[in-house]
Amino acid sequence: MLAILLQAVAGATFGKFGAAIGAGIAAIAAAIGIGKIGKSALESSARQPEAASGMRTTAIIIAALIEGACLFAILVCLLGIING
Amino acid sequence: MHRIRSFILWFAAALLLLAPATAAAAGHEASEPGELDMKSYIFGHIGDAYDWHITTVNGHHISIPLPCIVIDDGLHVFLSSRMEENGYTLNEDGKLVNAATGKRPVDISITKNVCSLIISSILLVVLILLTARWYRRHDVMKEAPKGFAGLMEMLISMVTNDIIKEGVGKDYEKYAPYLLTAFFFIFLNNLLGIVPFFPGGANLTGNIAVTLFLAVCTFLAVNLFGNKHYYKDIFWPEVPAWLKVPLPLMPLIEIIGMFTKPFSLMVRLFANILAGHIMLLGVVAVIFLTAKLGPALNGSMSVIAVLFGVFMDILELLVAFIQAYVFTMLSSVFIGLSRQEPAHEHEQLETTNN
Amino acid sequence: MSLITPDFGLLFWMTLIFAIVFFVLAKFGFPLITGMVKKRSDSIEQSLRDAEEARKSLKELAAEQKKLIEEARKEQARILNEAATAGDKIVQDAREQAREQTTAMIDQAREEIRIERETARRELADEVTNLSIEVAEKLIRGHLNSAERQNALIDKLIEEARASHKTVN
Repeated sequence: MLAILLQAVAGATFGKFGAAIGAGIAAIAAAIGIGKIGKSALESSARQPEAASGMRTTAIIIAALIEGACLFAILVCLLGIING
Repeated sequence: MHRIRSFILWFAAALLLLAPATAAAAGHEASEPGELDMKSYIFGHIGDAYDWHITTVNGHHISIPLPCIVIDDGLHVFLSSRMEENGYTLNEDGKLVNAATGKRPVDISITKNVCSLIISSILLVVLILLTARWYRRHDVMKEAPKGFAGLMEMLISMVTNDIIKEGVGKDYEKYAPYLLTAFFFIFLNNLLGIVPFFPGGANLTGNIAVTLFLAVCTFLAVNLFGNKHYYKDIFWPEVPAWLKVPLPLMPLIEIIGMFTKPFSLMVRLFANILAGHIMLLGVVAVIFLTAKLGPALNGSMSVIAVLFGVFMDILELLVAFIQAYVFTMLSSVFIGLSRQEPAHEHEQLETTNN
Repeated sequence: MSLITPDFGLLFWMTLIFAIVFFVLAKFGFPLITGMVKKRSDSIEQSLRDAEEARKSLKELAAEQKKLIEEARKEQARILNEAATAGDKIVQDAREQAREQTTAMIDQAREEIRIERETARRELADEVTNLSIEVAEKLIRGHLNSAERQNALIDKLIEEARASHKTVN
């Protein structure tokens, strides 16, 4: 039992493990950020339907900016997987 | 509702007819040595190459060999299919190296990306000049353009009015050509990247060199035409003196900020397009990966993969437009910020003091 | 790693091709299109502004027209009024004048009548006097044939004149 664990630990590539976890965390962060934007966009559109199209544009732009930040993280994770 | 349901059922049935085809593929795959090499499959598609691989028929690669231009004690030009004869070979990264010394020469070959860049640039110039030709031939007061020229005018008007005018502010006509060129370049190349066959399919905006160059262009546009006030805010910002004098902390942070803004532009575009391509390739690769698992599983996974692939393609279209939009919008906002009038800022200061 | 290391060849070609594309489009492409679109939107804005001004001036004109009509009506009322009062006054004046004239005429007539009466009376008086003198003459002639009768009459007359003269004094 311990031998198996030791073997697993010895052969474990923490680089790839960390990279995968990092990618997951980045996805969670993106989802949380964009979810918040979606929530406030919907609420504001419900309050004032005639301004809804401006809100849609703003929401899409900010979602793209958030995705930029998250894709930074994905890039680093990708590097970890490729090199590690 | 009934029509939509029957349409979906027919579509799924048609896809399930792929099952015998995938069974044949499974049989074919089993005869080949080894499985699908995911890494080379994906990186072959998103990376650069010295020939344009169009398709593979019966294990026989059909590709267009592209010229290699190498400066290594003189200019050598040769087709990539004759690489070996001229004494060059590919290293493990897929780059051209001197076969004898193993060093990389100055390599300005027409690779797949460069060829795609040339094709898409010609396409872009042709499209825009065709639109401009309409305006030369018709009196703009009497009629509005229809068809293709109308579509281009709509796009150009939207970019000019919503993005450039709002972001840059006062004399936006000076920067509009660069921003419009950047927008259409990025948009067209993103779209061509989604198309899987010949003129498209080369991952151009998902290549760091291309986005690096665009970010450097924006960096130059922002900093070469910056206001005196903009530079004053960077090198001697209006913050308490202890942040500036013994160690120029704030100026350093501002200088780093000057570089991180275009850097984020570069990485955003690069990572978005690259991630889209990899996902699309991965989804399609599912079909080939599950080929060994038998026709039923393969067939069902193929249906799922095709549906998911369609969804990803539509998402990629949206991402293509949005990334071009966001790049242009942020560039115009940065240019506008670097040319802000000081009177404006004094007003803002006064209002915050009050 | 080659994924995030920019390749020099691609950078070189990218610079070259993007520069060419930018120059071509910045010279022949975008300025023309954006200029034309701006020209059209400017002319639309201008014609909209002109239409707005025309509408405003039309409204002003309509208001002015209404005001003019109002004034004209007021003028008309005033003129009618004036005409009425003037008419009345004329009638009044005419009546006055007529009255005056009739009064004058009446006066004149009265005067004439008086004069006529006077004349008539005087003539009558003359006639009467003449008649009476003739009668008296005739009478007296009869009586006054002789000289003593004449003297006696004269004395009587003087007595009477003196008596009346005394009573008067």
